[in-house]
Amino acid sequence: MTRRSRLLWSALAAAGLAAAAFPLAAGLRGDSPRPAASAGAAPVTEVRDDAAPPLVGVTLAGGRFDLSAWRGHTVVVNVWASWCAPCRQELPQLVAAVGQVAGQGVRLVGLDVRDNDQDARNLLAAVGASGLTVVPDPRGTTAVSWGVSGVPETFVVDGTGRIRAHAQGAVTADWVRQQIDRVATP
Amino acid sequence: MKLRRILALAGLAALLAAAGLATWRSTHDSGAATVEQVAASLRCPACDGETVAQSRSPVAAAMREVIANQLAAGRSPDQVRTWFAQRYGEEVLADPSGRGMGSLLWIVPGLALLAGVALSVRTLRHRPGGGPPRTPAPPSASASSVRTRRAWDLAAVGVLAMVAAVAVAGARAGGVGSDDGDSPAAGTPAASTPDDALGRQIDLAKALEQQGEYGAAVEIYRAAAAADPDPRLRLRLAFALLRAGRPGEAAGIARQVLADQPADADGLLVLGLAERATRSPAASGTLRRFLRLAPDHPAAADVRRLLSQQPTAGSGPGG
Repeated sequence: MTRRSRLLWSALAAAGLAAAAFPLAAGLRGDSPRPAASAGAAPVTEVRDDAAPPLVGVTLAGGRFDLSAWRGHTVVVNVWASWCAPCRQELPQLVAAVGQVAGQGVRLVGLDVRDNDQDARNLLAAVGASGLTVVPDPRGTTAVSWGVSGVPETFVVDGTGRIRAHAQGAVTADWVRQQIDRVATP
Repeated sequence: MKLRRILALAGLAALLAAAGLATWRSTHDSGAATVEQVAASLRCPACDGETVAQSRSPVAAAMREVIANQLAAGRSPDQVRTWFAQRYGEEVLADPSGRGMGSLLWIVPGLALLAGVALSVRTLRHRPGGGPPRTPAPPSASASSVRTRRAWDLAAVGVLAMVAAVAVAGARAGGVGSDDGDSPAAGTPAASTPDDALGRQIDLAKALEQQGEYGAAVEIYRAAAAADPDPRLRLRLAFALLRAGRPGEAAGIARQVLADQPADADGLLVLGLAERATRSPAASGTLRRFLRLAPDHPAAADVRRLLSQQPTAGSGPGG
């Protein structure tokens, strides 16, 4: 083996090691999942513009619900469960905030995930929101079709049926106002 | 020399066969196990470093159900994975994708294999006749080239030994219960079963109890106990009722369990505590029976303390 070929092979070996190490390091760095929203912290908000999945079902009150029937309205979709402590704190604020902008055609619907209907009714009664439209999702499969990772999560769907904002973690009245203003601005 | 070459070729053939087998096993979908396989190829979006198959979180349970529904509807595992990637982003895929940074993880091993083949071809071509050296070498160069060749040989043997060890270990690990459809006890990872769902419900109820949400835990235990007649579940329900401040209902359930199993220590413990909460004179007798039956129970010390604080309670039946 000549000196030149030895150099060539050494360089190749070094390049090979570097090429192997690079994706390994990148893989280790990028292994963590999306940041989980913790209770009390500001929600992790993602601005989006994609079609909302179907949201169809029988409500807690026994009526039929289809999100597409609310076209023309900005809809806040809140994913919650009575067994989730941050959801219990968030729900009254959300109901009040959406109530303030109801005159602008904004509506609120709850998607109640893997919950007991009676517990859900009890919570709604306790926070004075018994009139809220809530679609139970006892298996959690509708939530998965919306790309939900946990509860609470909130989506803002515009009048054309497109998701414009997605928050992981409890949202506040200010958050609702900001997002509604943003969606309303052409 | 010939024998060595035959042995080396046989070794290489065996390694290639093992690698082929391992590849086939990892890509071959075998009916019932597919839900588990697809779940294992997706990351749980709410967990750290767990796949949907491993996680016990509610979202992972819902995702497993969606996978089962979609496969039952005739969608292929790849279509299901794509569906999830559209909703949760590419990072939900546990396998590296063929694009972007992920592509390197596929390209680099391929390049390494090519480099290995090129090296082998080069070595074999030079070795047989030796051939006339292209440049006249100094006398000492032949000794150094022998040393270099030995070093290459050693390195090659080391790499082959490593590959062989991985192939053998992989085949052994994969051999335990993955294709053994006949042996149910072989440790096959269970596809999503009703037992799993029950286990998850119980985990959820325990978590709720830890958070002090006893009312919600009671409802989950009640549903689980209705689905499974296991007396342990009924006693968990009774404990949760006790903690939720409903000792009357707790005592009723504990009595039902004790009617079938009069010497059940946990049953006596719940009944005794429930009786104590309702100020029944039978409480201390029931708790003493519990202590006689299970003096080493984790709750025994607390019960002794309770009894020593309450010397005036009725003596009860004693049993």
